[in-house]
Amino acid sequence: MLAYILRRILATIPVMAIVALFVFSLLYIAPGDPAAVIAGDQASPEDVEKIRRSLGLDRPFLVRFGEWSWRLLQGDLGTSMFTGLPVTELIRQRMEPTLSLMVVTLLLTVLIAVPLGVVAAWKAGSWIDRLIMALAVAGFSVPVFVVGYLLVYFLALRLEWLPTQGYTPLKEGLWPWLETLILPSVALGFVYIALIARITRATMLEVLSQDYVRTARAKGLGQGSILFLHALKNAAVPIVTVIGIGIALLIGGAVVTESVFAIPGLGRLTIDAIVRRDYPVIQGIVLMFSFVYVLVNLAIDLIYTVLDPRIRY
Amino acid sequence: MDRRNFLKTAASTGALTAVGGLSAPAIAQGAKVLKFVPQANLANFDPVWGTQYVVRNASQLVWDTLYGLDGKLQPKRQMAESEEVSADGLTWTFKLREGLKWHDGEKVTAKDVVASITRWTHRDAMGQMLKAINKELTAVDDRTLKWVLSKPYPKMLYALGKVGTPCCFIMPERIAKTDPFKQIEEYVGSGPMKFVRGDWKPGALAAFEKNKDYVPRSESADWWSGGRVIHFDRIEWIIMPDPATASAALQSGEIDWWETPLTDLVPVLKRNRNIKVDIADPLGNIGAFRLNHLHPPFNDVKVRRAVQMALNQEDYMRAVAGSDKSLWSTLGSVFTPGTPVFSDAGGEALTGPRDIEGAKKLLAEAGYKGQPVTCLVAQDQPPLKAMGEITADLLKKIGMTVDFVATDWGTVGQRRASKSPPGQGGWGMFHTWHAGADAANPAGHIAARAGGEKGPAWFGWPDDPEVEKGVAAWFDAKTTEEEKAAMAAINRASMTSVTWIPTGFYKSFQAWRSNLSGVSNGPLPWFWGVTKA
Repeated sequence: MLAYILRRILATIPVMAIVALFVFSLLYIAPGDPAAVIAGDQASPEDVEKIRRSLGLDRPFLVRFGEWSWRLLQGDLGTSMFTGLPVTELIRQRMEPTLSLMVVTLLLTVLIAVPLGVVAAWKAGSWIDRLIMALAVAGFSVPVFVVGYLLVYFLALRLEWLPTQGYTPLKEGLWPWLETLILPSVALGFVYIALIARITRATMLEVLSQDYVRTARAKGLGQGSILFLHALKNAAVPIVTVIGIGIALLIGGAVVTESVFAIPGLGRLTIDAIVRRDYPVIQGIVLMFSFVYVLVNLAIDLIYTVLDPRIRY
Repeated sequence: MDRRNFLKTAASTGALTAVGGLSAPAIAQGAKVLKFVPQANLANFDPVWGTQYVVRNASQLVWDTLYGLDGKLQPKRQMAESEEVSADGLTWTFKLREGLKWHDGEKVTAKDVVASITRWTHRDAMGQMLKAINKELTAVDDRTLKWVLSKPYPKMLYALGKVGTPCCFIMPERIAKTDPFKQIEEYVGSGPMKFVRGDWKPGALAAFEKNKDYVPRSESADWWSGGRVIHFDRIEWIIMPDPATASAALQSGEIDWWETPLTDLVPVLKRNRNIKVDIADPLGNIGAFRLNHLHPPFNDVKVRRAVQMALNQEDYMRAVAGSDKSLWSTLGSVFTPGTPVFSDAGGEALTGPRDIEGAKKLLAEAGYKGQPVTCLVAQDQPPLKAMGEITADLLKKIGMTVDFVATDWGTVGQRRASKSPPGQGGWGMFHTWHAGADAANPAGHIAARAGGEKGPAWFGWPDDPEVEKGVAAWFDAKTTEEEKAAMAAINRASMTSVTWIPTGFYKSFQAWRSNLSGVSNGPLPWFWGVTKA
């Protein structure tokens, strides 16, 4: 197992190298000019050119890529062209809010979606099943920002239960931290609850028709232990796979959610960097997300072995 | 107690406190904090290197200027105690106020001012004019500096106190010696607030703390002049890219002041009795239709006139600012209406009756054969998107072929600098807007210049010696009457040769909680004099 983990971690190196080359090349050919943004509207074309030179943007592709790669190998993601701050510092500043948002959303999603899917499968064909599936369709159909605005309007503005926006670090207390995350997590989790509830239902339906479930019923086991101890455990592998894929989707969804709720996370950092063409920041974030995604996939592969002892690497 | 506070209190007595406790305020108890949502993200903090308005607006808190404009656009002393100009107008001597200190406790000296002015002259249009006639700029003693020129420059004090970017902010010598094309790394000023570097999260938060050593001028504040008295211990700039979020935060009282509410959201804010809404800047903005004079079809004045005679500013203004006519007006000038030396001489070309048929006839006379007009339209800037759509419709109506390039502002910013033909990466037209404070006269209004490819001229590179003659006359003007005559000459020439086409004049709102008082209007959000109950 340890050898497998090491092999997988080593395998991330070529993956990251390809991602690095791809991102750098894509940004090189993309239109837009950070120098023009920095110089502002009143600047003369000559001033824009001077800023471009001072940023090193007039140098050939290979020179710039070589220099960036060399720094990258030393663990240096570079410096933001706009803020003058190291990319690692910018990412560090934004890591906690995004991580918090993702963790709370994931917990919320799993805690709501899995029981919903199980119940829908158990009551397949009934009005409960139809209601849950109707909610799932609604979850798929309503965009994150619409859910976000509705939640803000009713729960924050009308009822005044929660703040409309912002983020409070965990170090300032659990409730202050949580109260700024509830609305964004619900908004972001809506679509994932729908997705995971449907997958859980489909997988559970298949498992519930297996002989061993019938045997468990014949043995007189309670409905709860049949559903959650026998059936769900065997249905867990595809559900965990979808949850893993969902983490990648969460990263995308966080961009919108962080904007709607003014959460200073990595999603907003990404958008700001793209709008301004802050190349080092975009490259740093994409590399980081790629690395996280590789690690998430590795973690899911390892969870398979826990859920299904037949799987061995 | 509102419901949120009730919930909070209930939670504090419950299990949650056992885990982490309630929020410990990040700042001292009882401190007066102003929460402000600026127009944009403070992505950098060097007002000479990065000339975005948001950088200037934050910089005014941290760095002081030698002079500052008042509400009549007249320069008044700020850091300067006195100034003298020799009879021939070539030697200026400035004396600094006593007791000026940097945030690190050091004294402000004339050497700091010399270094700051020198850096600024590399980046600012008026500064560059001064650089071109500079003979000697030296510190005579700690509080006195002398500037010797080879030619008189009557607009000296205006240049040093103007609000158009980049402004001549005064920094310590060690910082001001930074290459003007590189960003400073230290943020020490002598202004009424100190920048809290440790709290700065670009894209999220910028914070300023009161400079207790600041000695404001004794005169009452008037725009950028007079006593800059700040009544807050801390000012937080909270970046909110989404207008609906800022609107909700203002309604719930989570923020105190929102610099640029979206016009569409203003009715909701006006209905809330806890919120006040007013015009932000009486000098407003001028919408602009920039034409590329280097390539067909707009290298032909007849084609430019055809567009000018058909263009209906009302269409543009309704698309940009809505149907509330108190927010906008038509404008027959390249300058800001309502300013002291404003002129709309020749402006009937834009404000007179519109003539689509006449435009078609003029295009035929010009031999226009359907060459596509490459329109660069930034979709991420609502006013520019709106204007671009009106333009596409207008050009089609008069029989022109439109190549509509829907893109983002970053790409427009790059592509508009290209002098290549439109089919080879260049462009035919793009929209932008000019802040009224910049467009009040030719001083900071590079878009009004028409020096052609060799400059000075802005993107589109119009070439009209008459415009440039008028600009030179304005800079040399010694009286208001002379200035007015020069402005009229510039505007008339601009309208005749259609250097660019103003699409109208519009204003925007600002909104704040009603427990704030002293919020005034102007080209920048002035924080001095604002108090919170």
